Amino acid sequence: MCDLGIVMVERLDPSLTSLIVGEEHSAAIVLCLTRLMEETGATHIMLLDRAGQILSWQGGDQRQMEMMHLGALLAGTYATSREMARLLKEDGFRVLVQEGMREKIFTETVEDRWLLVVVFDHQAHLGLVKVLAKRATQSLAEILHIIVEQNETRRSQFRGQVRKAAIDTIDLLFNDDSTAESNRTTEKK
Amino acid sequence: MALINVAAREIHGKIVYYGPGLCGKTTNLQIIHGKIPQSGRSDLLSIATETERTLFFDFLPLDLGKVHGFTIRFHLYTVPGQILYERTRVAVLNGADGVVFVADAQRDRLADNLQSLRELAHNLTNQGKRLLEFPLVMQYNKMDLPTALPTPVLDRYLNTIKVPRFEAVAVDGSGVFETLRAISKLVVNKL
Repeated sequence: MCDLGIVMVERLDPSLTSLIVGEEHSAAIVLCLTRLMEETGATHIMLLDRAGQILSWQGGDQRQMEMMHLGALLAGTYATSREMARLLKEDGFRVLVQEGMREKIFTETVEDRWLLVVVFDHQAHLGLVKVLAKRATQSLAEILHIIVEQNETRRSQFRGQVRKAAIDTIDLLFNDDSTAESNRTTEKK
Repeated sequence: MALINVAAREIHGKIVYYGPGLCGKTTNLQIIHGKIPQSGRSDLLSIATETERTLFFDFLPLDLGKVHGFTIRFHLYTVPGQILYERTRVAVLNGADGVVFVADAQRDRLADNLQSLRELAHNLTNQGKRLLEFPLVMQYNKMDLPTALPTPVLDRYLNTIKVPRFEAVAVDGSGVFETLRAISKLVVNKL
């Protein structure tokens, strides 16, 4: 699936409340990211949604928490750059590059809905990262297109399984705090 | 839009604390960060000015536990409240699954609350959300102050669409977790 051509992912319904990424599609994304990492010599690669949530990331578990923070910051930076583009009457900035003394970050949008992030050091070249990332975004767009297409079917299956249990878990988790302070609470149904 | 990763068995959601400047959005996150168990806690990331006003956002990833083998993880954000940062608020609000509107209950902040609430409604609508269906919870903060308006008055002006609302004194933790629980449930209900 990693070598498919350009496919436009249709605009997501803005009122869509959840997106389910199945195991087979996760595997396909991992394959693309792994290949990109091998070919570029990057240290870390992530695929984020625009809210900063990580769909997939490669590069070892030791920096997981840092990557989560990085994801939030990059999504915020990208969203800010969109606002800047809007002010300048630009369509958008598709690519962001941040260069430090040791590490560089290259971010490219995938169909304006997801962000491909490549973290690399002096051993990788920006030009190579740009070219290969461009190819990877095309492959990722194909996978994401299928995920979006199949989402509604998956959602209806998933909803029944998990939602009730999740709400019970939330009640259980917050029970101690809420009972201690319940006299201050005035939930309006 | 919440993200459900079946392979990683994770459910991710984004909750944004919105409201006028100095209403207590960051305080909510600080209290949550201080009280949650170490096992579900990460660092609270704050992008603030030299005077500790929020410049970009505060960010706190929060693990709520496992359900049917899935880890529920919410990303909590605040927006910068100052009027100057209106476009930054749009950026942070992007992709939110739920919003907590933190109102400053003091009488002289009512106009600021109304302005911020109107801006929130405008921004959500611009992002294609249907306001009446969107997970939204309201928190009336600083209710301990003598200048705080009574709850029925705040309801009349701020909660015309009758979303769940909570009185709070965020600085001592009162009402903070009730608010978080309510918005968490609303978000999960929309999965």
